Amino acid sequence: MKPFQYVTAATPAGAPELLGDNGCYLAGGNDLLGLMKEYIVEPAVLVNIKALPGLDKIESDSDHWTLGANVTVAQLEEHEGLKVDLPALHQAAREVGSLQIRNVATVGGNLAQHSRCWYYRHRDVACLKKGGDTCFARHGENRYHSLFTGNNCISPVVSNLSVAFAALDATVVVQRRGSAVRMSIADLYAKAWDNPTAHHSLNPGDLILRIEIPRQSLRSAYRQISEKAAFDWALVSCAAAGRLSNGQISRGRVALGVVAPVPYQVPEANEMLEGHLLDEALAARVADRLLRGAVPFADNGYKVPLARALIQRTLLALRA
Amino acid sequence: MPTWPKETVHINKRTRRVDGPAKVTGAAKYSSDVQPEGWLYGMILRSRWPAAKITRIGLDQARRVPGIKAAILVRDGERTVRYYGEELAAVAGTTKQACLDALRAIEVDAMPMPFVVKEEDARNPNSPRVWEAAANLSSPRVIERGEVDKAFGESAAVVEGSFATSVQLHHALETHGNTVSWTDEGVTAWASTQGIFSVRDGLADNLKIEQSKVRVISDYMGGGFGAKFGPGIEGALAARLSQAAKAPVKLMLTRFDEALAVGNRPSSFQKIKLGSTADGQLLAFELESYGTAGIGSGGSTEGGGGGAEFPAPYIYRVPNIRVKQSGVVINAGSARAFRAPGHPPASFGMESILDELAVKLKMDPVELRLKNDPSPIRQREYAIGRERFGWQDQYKPPGSTPGPVKTGVGCAGATWGGGGQGTRAEAQINPDGSVEIRCGTQDLGTGIRTVIAVIAADILGLEPGQIQVRIGDTRFPPSGGSGGSTTTASVSPAIYDTCHKALKALEDQTGVADARGDQWKSACRKLGINPLVVSGEWVAGLSSSGAGGVQFAAVRVDTETGVVAVKKITCVQDCGLVMNKLTCESQINGGILLGIGYALFEQRVMDRATGVVLNPNFETYKVPGFGDVPEIDIVLLDMPERGVIGVGEPVTIPTAAAIANAVANALGARINRLPITPAKVLAALGRTKPGLA
Repeated sequence: MKPFQYVTAATPAGAPELLGDNGCYLAGGNDLLGLMKEYIVEPAVLVNIKALPGLDKIESDSDHWTLGANVTVAQLEEHEGLKVDLPALHQAAREVGSLQIRNVATVGGNLAQHSRCWYYRHRDVACLKKGGDTCFARHGENRYHSLFTGNNCISPVVSNLSVAFAALDATVVVQRRGSAVRMSIADLYAKAWDNPTAHHSLNPGDLILRIEIPRQSLRSAYRQISEKAAFDWALVSCAAAGRLSNGQISRGRVALGVVAPVPYQVPEANEMLEGHLLDEALAARVADRLLRGAVPFADNGYKVPLARALIQRTLLALRA
Repeated sequence: MPTWPKETVHINKRTRRVDGPAKVTGAAKYSSDVQPEGWLYGMILRSRWPAAKITRIGLDQARRVPGIKAAILVRDGERTVRYYGEELAAVAGTTKQACLDALRAIEVDAMPMPFVVKEEDARNPNSPRVWEAAANLSSPRVIERGEVDKAFGESAAVVEGSFATSVQLHHALETHGNTVSWTDEGVTAWASTQGIFSVRDGLADNLKIEQSKVRVISDYMGGGFGAKFGPGIEGALAARLSQAAKAPVKLMLTRFDEALAVGNRPSSFQKIKLGSTADGQLLAFELESYGTAGIGSGGSTEGGGGGAEFPAPYIYRVPNIRVKQSGVVINAGSARAFRAPGHPPASFGMESILDELAVKLKMDPVELRLKNDPSPIRQREYAIGRERFGWQDQYKPPGSTPGPVKTGVGCAGATWGGGGQGTRAEAQINPDGSVEIRCGTQDLGTGIRTVIAVIAADILGLEPGQIQVRIGDTRFPPSGGSGGSTTTASVSPAIYDTCHKALKALEDQTGVADARGDQWKSACRKLGINPLVVSGEWVAGLSSSGAGGVQFAAVRVDTETGVVAVKKITCVQDCGLVMNKLTCESQINGGILLGIGYALFEQRVMDRATGVVLNPNFETYKVPGFGDVPEIDIVLLDMPERGVIGVGEPVTIPTAAAIANAVANALGARINRLPITPAKVLAALGRTKPGLA
């Protein structure tokens, strides 16, 4: 990797100015160091944000769960309260990487990680996402790629946590130019839908501070299908949440991962759930609605039936 | 004729690896751990082009990078590179970062040329040629026996199918590489190798120095699977860097490099037709196949590997056959021998079509095999395995499990030659009773150090822990490379001979009638001040070749997601007289895991547009993890009268075929191309939405 300066930020407010013109925040480093070793990202300064006070806590009051951006994925996985209250989040955390990775990976880093597209990650391929002219995956090897996108890059978002957060109505609090901006998960990734070089909507200097999740007494579930039994990326992931009463679902939410550059949500699909008996037939209709308009490429058409099955299973898991 | 003892204390028992504690504590020094005084890092610059004329490589800037002590070209003058990752230059420096910086400072002028990296493209005559002078597709090797067309006409049942296997990478956990010190006295190489003498001879030849001036050491090495014979380009470069820098150079490849330039198992595309009588007697077999071994393909390399050809109709007796096999070159790294070269693809195609025939004949697949497999050993093994696995209860008509999650079973057989010869060894018995056995073999990971200790202990009446085994050094008596499942069968008889001779010499010299066991120490004391050194060699009659094996697989397939889980593998393996059951079973476990990887996960992915390997890492080149490992039930077919037979290769051959047959049995639909991924399962079930091609 290229030589860089290393500084530690003492306060969130003071962190952005340490970045200079070409700096990156460093938390767990799983993603960033890999990118640097492949010369895909070449920062002149790394600003260590792990010492920022108060960002490593999981807290709750009667209305919200608050997760500091530096909470590790292992902390999420092991937290008894989250396991009971937000099972989707617990399950999504448990599927991240390996235990060694989860021990250092942070919530903020998981949300801000870059595409895992094998063209993007290749040191000698200048693809569209890296500022080149061509998305090689479109006519190349696209078995792990998107079914939906608003631009010419077809690499999908792979953050497990983003999918669970989307279904749980989480708000991401981001420090932007000195003030705290509140973003939905849709906001956090909107830019990646339109812009082939974007991985999320964060600008240089933006710093994720915390994630807030409303306590709504929802049931929730997260499922993913991978090729390997463990330590593998999801081919497709899905999170669902909702309130169940006499078998009927209200405030239902479904989000899909690894099928689009954003955690994929369709408001109309959520509305289809409202007030209905949650059964196989409803789950199948919702799955169809979510997958309407999917554009498979040569090698990822399997994701359509896979996602359909996964949506149904995740939704029906809410009944358990 | 020498014979192994009928009653043994250690041989054919369960002895833990004598070097186990050293390995798990890190005390064992692998080639990549060695740090001779003043050593430098070495690194290789590789081609970024899949094909190009290289007109100039400028090293001046690289030499100016702080910490860089040497920079050399692989070859002088203009040259053509033919795959992404081909070696161009190398540097040595005091830090890893200095080397990385230097590689980026090397200037390469190249004229990119057209290239082709997909087998199906390369065989098209209009594709760019990998080698200017020859077509990409070799003219086929044809084998014809009997009257094939007539026999198909007379067949009551005929099945046809197309099957394909992917290029598999060796990916030993310790990458290729060496630490080399070249001084006026000669060359010392610490090599991660499965053949120390092949590294010695290769280095001597490459560096134009005498073999006696080259010493190769491999105390411990982290796997080879057939891809670590000889010094390789990386070994020669390390030596030249050492000479130029006047310091030892450690040049270990990266995981990325491993995917490019140090071997692979060729792919195969097989069209098979098989005919039989109504009761399942095979009559006719026809195969047309091609596959790629990268830039070097085509010709046959029986048993030693690297070619795209494979034995057909594999282990089965078919009176009328026609076989046409070609290789096709592509712009990718060359194949190398890979654990049972040729056999896993041969097994996958043949066992698959055999199960298709069984379905057509409504015959039990095991019965069909018993009818057509000429090996009496596999006949016995199928009988044992069928009981043990519970085949009769588990085998159901294809696709007949109710519900979306289906179960299935499958079986397959394998053969391997093996055998061994040519090893020499020496025993040194010291006056204090301590014993050293020296042998120029190397431990590929199979546990040969332990096997030597076990044999010596049994013959000398000692415990394995009392035997100091010294291997992995070309200063010891010579032994062959560890390939072809020959190590145990080559080394064990030499240790037998050496220890018997040493015992006799000790008894003769000291007048002790039986120096074994309790008498050992007092007998040794009578040696006086000079240790006894006795040589021995491989003798006939203690080992043999030709190992048959069968495996049964049980799988669970989720038809909605396409995910396959292997639940159980039962392996019945002929291995003659087992030297150490524990390490033998470890070999079998490892072979089965490799077979599971071949069946479900492993595939080198080349990119048509850029010519690069897209998955040069364990993130996307997937190998089985613990969660993917099934219950493995091993039956060692006990045939001590056959002597020692190697087991490393046969046990990886039938696993993928058995799994593929089990998946087909579960689904009632066959996935005819490895690896069997969820995408392929869903496609085979007709569930996949067609995409934009």
